[in-house]
Amino acid sequence: MESLLQHLDRFSELLAVSRTTHVRTWDPVTVRRALQWARYLRHIHRRFGRHGPIRTTLERRLHNQWRQEGGFGRGPVPGLANFQALGHCDVLLSLRLLENQALGDAARHYLVQQLFPGPGVPDADETLQESLARLARCGSAVHMLRFNGYRKNLNLQEDSLMKTQAELLLERLQEVGKAEAEGPARFLSSLWERLPQNNFLKVIAVALLQPPLSPRPQEESEPSIHKTPGEGSQALVHWLLGNSEVFAAFCRALPAGLLTSVTSRHPALSPVYLGLLTDWGQRLHYDLQEGIWVGTESQDVPWEELHNRFQSLCQAPPPLKDKVLTALEACKAQDGDFEVPGLSIWTDLLLALRSGAFRKRQVLGLSPGLSSV
Amino acid sequence: MPKEVQPFVMTSLKDARSQILGVLSHILSALRFDKEVALFTQGLGYAPVDYYHGLLKNMVLSLASELRENHLNGFNTQRRMTPERLASLSRVCVPLITLPDVDPLVEALLVCHGHEPQEILQPEFFEAVNEAILLKKISLPMSAVVCLWLRHLPSLEKAMLHLFEKLISSERNCLRRIECFIKDSSLPQAACHPAIFRVVDEMFRCALLETDGAPEIIATIQVFTQCFVEALGKENKQLRFALKTYFPYTSPSLAMVLLQDPQDVPREHWLQTLKLISELLREAAEDQTHGSRRGPLESWFLFIHFGGWAEMVAEQLLRSAAEPPAALLWLLAFYYSPHDGRQQRAQTMVQVEAVLGRLLAMSGSSSLSARDLHTAAGQGTETDPRAPAQQLARRLLLHFVLWAPGGHTIARDAIALMAHTAEITHEIIGFLDQTLYRWDRLGIESPRSGKLARELLKELRTQV
Repeated sequence: MESLLQHLDRFSELLAVSRTTHVRTWDPVTVRRALQWARYLRHIHRRFGRHGPIRTTLERRLHNQWRQEGGFGRGPVPGLANFQALGHCDVLLSLRLLENQALGDAARHYLVQQLFPGPGVPDADETLQESLARLARCGSAVHMLRFNGYRKNLNLQEDSLMKTQAELLLERLQEVGKAEAEGPARFLSSLWERLPQNNFLKVIAVALLQPPLSPRPQEESEPSIHKTPGEGSQALVHWLLGNSEVFAAFCRALPAGLLTSVTSRHPALSPVYLGLLTDWGQRLHYDLQEGIWVGTESQDVPWEELHNRFQSLCQAPPPLKDKVLTALEACKAQDGDFEVPGLSIWTDLLLALRSGAFRKRQVLGLSPGLSSV
Repeated sequence: MPKEVQPFVMTSLKDARSQILGVLSHILSALRFDKEVALFTQGLGYAPVDYYHGLLKNMVLSLASELRENHLNGFNTQRRMTPERLASLSRVCVPLITLPDVDPLVEALLVCHGHEPQEILQPEFFEAVNEAILLKKISLPMSAVVCLWLRHLPSLEKAMLHLFEKLISSERNCLRRIECFIKDSSLPQAACHPAIFRVVDEMFRCALLETDGAPEIIATIQVFTQCFVEALGKENKQLRFALKTYFPYTSPSLAMVLLQDPQDVPREHWLQTLKLISELLREAAEDQTHGSRRGPLESWFLFIHFGGWAEMVAEQLLRSAAEPPAALLWLLAFYYSPHDGRQQRAQTMVQVEAVLGRLLAMSGSSSLSARDLHTAAGQGTETDPRAPAQQLARRLLLHFVLWAPGGHTIARDAIALMAHTAEITHEIIGFLDQTLYRWDRLGIESPRSGKLARELLKELRTQV
């Protein structure tokens, strides 16, 4: 067992190095050894992937490695991402080497011969070739579909690119959470600093709306060393609640409908969201000449957007909808409980929401009876 | 070679190699189509090999559900898929068909036809899917296959031709194997849709005409019909089509009687059923009404579909000691010789009755000679052995040999006398194979006859 773990360590180092210019020193023998190690580990994964104790030990070793590299604050792990990656570590290694310009001619030549030996060559690693072929076909398929049939789905949570990114995020969070209890929070903070923020926020929203992950079939036979699925979402919610600046950006950047769905699904977020909306509302004042509510600074949220968000929230299913209305009524009461427009933004909002609801009922052909708003 | 050219050749080889490597690298590495996505996945620590599979799956499912929505919400024009997009999607799928991840999309394209009156998807798509189905490189649900064959007639025809090829190249006269091939082709289940049944039937009819009524084709039609009836029985009762849609030129009563499985009819009633079939068939065959689609050939073609009944007539005639019913005699004569005029048929009926009489007279005796049997059956005369009457006589003789107690001992001699050409030997092999196949299904024969038949079949097979 110990030798296996050492093997894993050495291979992770190798994988990390394969991206750097150090490969300049590699000769065909080094390449061959590296591929052999990869093949060995792939074999280990296939044989012991379902074997609880061995798998746990290997995973724990990987987690140790990550911690030693500075945990999750410093950036992506240069080596293996998770235990599953062992299943195709040979592909990972091969591709990194193939892309690395620093690899010497002799070593590169040897590598290419190993990867694409042609028909009838004895001793060829067919599994690796099959994996490469499958990856190429898969990649080509993705690109062909992308350019010929794919349309960005306006409903973000159903967009396939968004979904995939969200699935990856959740998977990673679960993995990180297993390695270290405080891991997810630090990891997410480091991502926030490194990645394009707009996209990141969208992915978080989509991730929060994913259906709970069902355990993968191969993992069912194992002892449950994993925490319950949904762990990733919880980590996200926890992090958002702990980072007000991020959450403010989250609520600002995303469309109203999406936020409503997210808040319905994760009730812990609703008080903070409502608090934000209240803050935004209070920054607006009434312009008597124009007859509208305006902000003082350019980054203030305009009336339309505020109205939009409240309108969306009022269309949400009961627990959330009632909370929102109660909050609005409370704010209105605090301001003096006016019925006349122009004095309290909360009054005006409630009026706008009611008339909006009335108009909607008219359009739908429903009776104008007592609306619940 | 002039010196100036040499360095050019060397550099270009190196260039070629680096070009090829570049292409390989390009194919295998992440073709970055979306900078943000690439940054995100890299930031998380994932390589394309980790997530491309999941991405493909998501894209396929998203496209498939978009197609389904398009199919169901015909009136919601906002979310409609334009015909151009559908066509281009189908074209794109052609090289992707053998990727199992793309199956849901292929299925959705086949099943969800849009709302245009003409076909939108590219024919190359249908051809490629059909090819993959025939070569078993893709597995699609039956509903998708039926949609394919309904939307693209050449695919259905190709599937039938593929079946014919397999049947031709396989061992002759083995109904069990034919049944396997037929069931494997999914055509019987597909034929539960009347349009497909009509096309398949038409192709069988052509094959029959081309081969002048070859017994192998008749046997194939019979096995196919049997598989078809089985598949029909499994269909959801509420979605069943009326019989008339499968057999538009047949009277419903005749179709209904023929479609009964002999297994489902009590043995005592078999004779009665055959008589009824004979009456109805005769009525249809002798229908001289101007412009009617009935008539002897159509009726014969209908009748030969149902091997369970058609092959039973001779047996029934031999088993009953009573006077052979005229209806059954007519049916037997009609089965072997549909073209005959009224007089010719009447003559055949008389001949058959005579043969039956002689054979039955010999059935009681314990010591038979093969030559006597041969003469009794009217063999050994100068007539053409391929004539229908001769075929019929051989049939009766073989039935007798298998069934009568005394017949077993002289079976081999009798057959040796009959089989003086390879063609007739094949005919006898076909008969034995078919009889055993029928007996297995209906479970009606005595172990001794079955054993004898099997032995004879084995021996004859080694002879040809």
